[in-house]
Amino acid sequence: MTDADAAGAAETADHEHYEAVVVGAGPGGAAAAAALARQDVETLVLERGVDAGSKNVSGGLIYAEESAPYTIDGLFPDFREAASERPVDEYYIHNVAGDRVKTFDLDRVHHHDTDWCDSVLRRRMDSWLAERVHELTRETGGGLLTEVRVNGLLRENGEIVGVTCDEIDPIRADLIVAADGVNSELARDAGLMDWDDPDDWFQGVKAVVDMDPDVVNDRFDVDPDGGAAHLFSGDLFEGVRGGGFLYTNEDSLSIGTVFHLDSLTAERAEPHELLDGLLTHPLLDRWLQGEYEEREYSAKLVPDSKKVAHPSPHRGRLLLVGDAAGQMQAQGPIIKGMNHAVTAGGLAAEAFVEARTRGDASKAGELYERKLREEGVMEKLRPRRYRASRAVSENDAVNRLGSALIDSPLGAAGLRAAEGLAERAFNSPLLLGMVPDTRFSYVTVPSRIAEVLGEPIEERSYADSSDDADDEDGVRPPDLADRIGDLTYDVGDPHIELLDESYEASGAAVTACPVSAEAFGGGCYRDERIQTNGEEKRVVSLDTQPCIECGTCAVVADTEWEHPSGGKGVEFKEG
Amino acid sequence: MVEIDPTEHEIADLGPKVNGVDDIEELEAMLELEREGPDRDPVKTLIESRIETLEAEAGGDEAAVDPAEVDPAELSLAEFANMVRDVDDVDLLRDLIERERDGEDRDGAITQIENRIEAIEGTEQDEDDEGPEYVPPEEKHPDLDHPTADKTYVEGVSGETYRDMWVYCETQRGELVDASKEILGKARELMDGYADRYGDEEDVIAVLIGDDVADLAEEAIAYGADRAVYHDDERLDRFRHKPYTEIYAHMCRDFEATWRDYHEPRYNVFPATHNGRDLSALVQAELDSGLASDCSDLYIEEAMISNPAKTGTPGDSEEFERVLHMPRPDFSGFEYSTILCIDKPHRDFHPQGASVIPGTFDLPDPDPEREGEVVEHDLDLPDDWFQVEVVEYDRLEEGVDLTGHDVIVALGRGIGDDPTEGIELGLDLVGAFDDAALGLSRGVITASYEFASHVEDYISEERQIGESGQVVEPEVYIAAGISGAVQHKVGMDESDTIIAVNEDPEADIRGFSDYFVEGDLFEVLPRLTAAIEEGGSVAAMEGVADD
Ligand SMILES: Cc1cc2nc3c(=O)[nH]c(=O)nc-3n(C[C@H](O)[C@H](O)[C@H](O)COP(=O)(O)OP(=O)(O)OC[C@H]3O[C@@H](n4cnc5c(N)ncnc54)[C@H](O)[C@@H]3O)c2cc1C
Ligand SMILES: Cc1cc2nc3c(=O)[nH]c(=O)nc-3n(C[C@H](O)[C@H](O)[C@H](O)COP(=O)(O)OP(=O)(O)OC[C@H]3O[C@@H](n4cnc5c(N)ncnc54)[C@H](O)[C@@H]3O)c2cc1C
Ligand code: SF4
Repeated sequence: MTDADAAGAAETADHEHYEAVVVGAGPGGAAAAAALARQDVETLVLERGVDAGSKNVSGGLIYAEESAPYTIDGLFPDFREAASERPVDEYYIHNVAGDRVKTFDLDRVHHHDTDWCDSVLRRRMDSWLAERVHELTRETGGGLLTEVRVNGLLRENGEIVGVTCDEIDPIRADLIVAADGVNSELARDAGLMDWDDPDDWFQGVKAVVDMDPDVVNDRFDVDPDGGAAHLFSGDLFEGVRGGGFLYTNEDSLSIGTVFHLDSLTAERAEPHELLDGLLTHPLLDRWLQGEYEEREYSAKLVPDSKKVAHPSPHRGRLLLVGDAAGQMQAQGPIIKGMNHAVTAGGLAAEAFVEARTRGDASKAGELYERKLREEGVMEKLRPRRYRASRAVSENDAVNRLGSALIDSPLGAAGLRAAEGLAERAFNSPLLLGMVPDTRFSYVTVPSRIAEVLGEPIEERSYADSSDDADDEDGVRPPDLADRIGDLTYDVGDPHIELLDESYEASGAAVTACPVSAEAFGGGCYRDERIQTNGEEKRVVSLDTQPCIECGTCAVVADTEWEHPSGGKGVEFKEG
Repeated sequence: MVEIDPTEHEIADLGPKVNGVDDIEELEAMLELEREGPDRDPVKTLIESRIETLEAEAGGDEAAVDPAEVDPAELSLAEFANMVRDVDDVDLLRDLIERERDGEDRDGAITQIENRIEAIEGTEQDEDDEGPEYVPPEEKHPDLDHPTADKTYVEGVSGETYRDMWVYCETQRGELVDASKEILGKARELMDGYADRYGDEEDVIAVLIGDDVADLAEEAIAYGADRAVYHDDERLDRFRHKPYTEIYAHMCRDFEATWRDYHEPRYNVFPATHNGRDLSALVQAELDSGLASDCSDLYIEEAMISNPAKTGTPGDSEEFERVLHMPRPDFSGFEYSTILCIDKPHRDFHPQGASVIPGTFDLPDPDPEREGEVVEHDLDLPDDWFQVEVVEYDRLEEGVDLTGHDVIVALGRGIGDDPTEGIELGLDLVGAFDDAALGLSRGVITASYEFASHVEDYISEERQIGESGQVVEPEVYIAAGISGAVQHKVGMDESDTIIAVNEDPEADIRGFSDYFVEGDLFEVLPRLTAAIEEGGSVAAMEGVADD
């Protein structure tokens, strides 16, 4: 008898069994797998990308919070040296109105409860984590497999007992960790999440811009081992609720935007144009100085934990962690998703091991839920204050009143008198936790601050003002066709099916899809008019080849939405 | 220098290659090359795990458990098997059985020990004996039925002579299929180095079965065969299991044939096409050998084998020469196994048989000058081999081949205002040339346009030009209403002359067109058609085109 036969004979059921299977190798999955493996739990990790990180996008600043029970460097000791870009110690927000800007230093809120904070690029970060995870899990008899897409839950007598995959046979497990990110197919399959309401999500769009390390140090006035974060709000986004960010990496910049999906859809705004609006804003020319080389364009949905963090993110053996559970906290302009995914992964592992020690692994879910609450994670994700203030502050009447106030000369005088107060308000985690999701706080207040308190933006860099006096904008970002052309795809079968092609049902995707646009034939969603018996109908057509799997159309259009099979679809090199 | 430079290979075909390397230093060097070069993680993992395997083999189990002390219950069956394999002391093994019985009493564990004891005691006895006495299976297990008992070829013929690599040359519609040509090329390569390694020449034999295949026998020689054996019969015009299998097997054992003096072919290689898969399994079964199906590589090497079933003597290793190594993907390609087909002491496992996935090897260039012998196979085919009658057959749509035309007229989403008319205008222009075909951008194929039924059939991915469609290089490429996205461009920019018709003077395609006609295709195309019909040449279009 060979060894393989012997191992096979020991297998009772017809499907392969592991103690734990972790779906997704982002920060949440990596943390869960590492914590499980350290406790000798036999763990198999399944990741759909050709490489961990090849599907992932973040801004990305990863925080290690002082109050968090798990941090990424706690679980992966060399993380900061090996996998992150730069420590980010400076943090500013720029309130913009036309050509006036008022900058606040958000140092206090940035450092509040922060042990450290680094910028990251996800391909590098996640693939490094995956190597460590593979080493750790292999010790337990498991490992990490890439290019495997989990396509659903394996059930027996209605009970969840494992997962099914596109590429390999079903796998049974005592614990299933769904760390499969936003648009989690497992959370949907378990009935724990739906993708119906645009109000629950943000859409993040990002460009990674090439910049020499010395140039970064120089233009941002930072040390070689330091970095800066700049946020942007005000009237530079055509009234769409959201803001912009710029983070320094080792030898590049991450510049992006994050908008409320409902607002983006309602305004029929084009995400790539909003990003271009930021990139070409005179304010950014301070750092870009007329030079722009885009390495990668990317996008992804971002859950709003205030609305969707699941209070009870488990069902049977299935535990959701990270974006899959909606655990992505937007604390005003500060975005914290990766750190919470890490914490949740650690807690899920801990809960399973504890439950098993107590002799009942099926209690892992309840224990996990309790730990999320007792460790204060839930309170960060869904602050009670927010729930209390939301009803009032999102009320239109209140907003109008607020706008009237702030627009009045009296309001302006008040603002001026209270300049220090405004900056302090921005620096209060407590107040930020209450920021209402309205145009008022995203657009009106920052613009008004800039109008009243702001200084005109300095002259454009002489580089282009001298040679080309009437050049409208400083830099010229690539158009959508070039952005698509620069991405790497391994095209598979279509993974999205358009259920209703009428413009009413699915037309919103033409603009909201970050690689589609009105009057652009090269996108996923295209606006078309067809004549049937002399009658004209407005419809949309879909080609998934340029899809960057952001998840937007799963929410704003009438589709049957899945992720592509393992290894297929877009491959991000930066992320 | 390393023999295999990983940076020159795709990940997919490195698996079997890396696993064939046994030298750790060489592997380290390969790893270094990969690190300095493309630095692909899967490749590094592959090499590293090969190194680990070799190190583990060399070092034995570092964390070895002491079989005298261990509590068997603490070991999994696999661990247990590993441990038992290294124990030679029969008393200790018997003691282990006791301990297992007192503990978990797993049947699997006990069988493993018993087998091990049998293996050891067997070896000791063999020192005096000739080896275990051979008892034919019919006598050993009289209670079982023995379907192969009447087959004279099954037992007792090992030690016979085998020669040559035989390649099944499948034909379709009167032509050799590419997959067989690829195998001929590979067989040539393998047999070219053969004499140097083993002292004597062996040949590549092409096997052709069908109606009117004599000419193709010559072609098989051009692709690398030394000798082509063919059987022509009009009843063989379509593939049928019975006659094809019988003929092939008969050729293998045709002891009358004057050109050969051996018992059976040494190797039989088939293309893993639909028919090749069927035939390979049937022929190899008829010859009572084995088959490695769907292989992704082939190489010939010696193999050290210690399995007593093969060597006849437990505990001993024997080197087998000229073994065809047949790597094939398992578990949907997550693993590779290399299959070997080796004789047993009383049982012949020749020919060593493989079927190879089409496209695995490069298509060789034919050499019409190559000399070789064509042999007609002689055998009367009894009628009852043809009991299965092919009453009807259908040829699957062959697909649209856009390559090789003088002119391609390609249409894009510019036809959107009236898609049906757009296609009609395109077809009119196609008709104006002697040798033209209609191509499409992906944008048209994936649109929601509604086409009238008479043009509907043209709208399919088969006509797509570009990255995920066909690549064409006609003399003239006319792109009407196509913006020139890079994914479209890569399918056509090697064309000699590119003429674009587009309303938008800023369209990307202008940058790589020789002529750019700014205008509405619904107006421009009819004028082009008229110009061609009058002038009869492309030059005539210069009247319309300017840029
Ligand atoms: C533009 C933008 C800016 C952001 N900025 C920040 C920031 O500055 N700081 C911050 O902390 N967070 C930020 N976030 C949020 C952050 O990226 C996420 O919260 C975080 O990545 C969540 O981690 P996760 O492990 O839950 O999921 P992910 O990182 O999304 O990982 C999920 C993994 O699962 C895999 N997967 C998915 N489905 C399957 C399947 N069916 N089978 C197999 N594998 C599957 C995916 O390929 C992926 O590797 C930002 C997000 C965006 C889009
Ligand atoms: C991974 C991947 C693979 C792809 N593979 C392919 C591929 O193999 N082949 C392929 O073709 N595409 C492919 N694409 C799609 C490609 O990116 C483009 O979307 C597609 O080629 C656009 O088709 P189009 O030029 O017809 O449409 P559009 O880009 O919409 O262009 C239409 C053009 O017609 C012009 N026009 C409009 N009306 C008129 C008129 N009345 N008269 C004249 N001109 C007019 C417009 O000015 C415009 O330039 C792929 C995309 C991806 C992401
Ligand atoms: S098709 Fe849908 S998932 Fe793909 S990029 Fe567009 S909006 Fe995102």
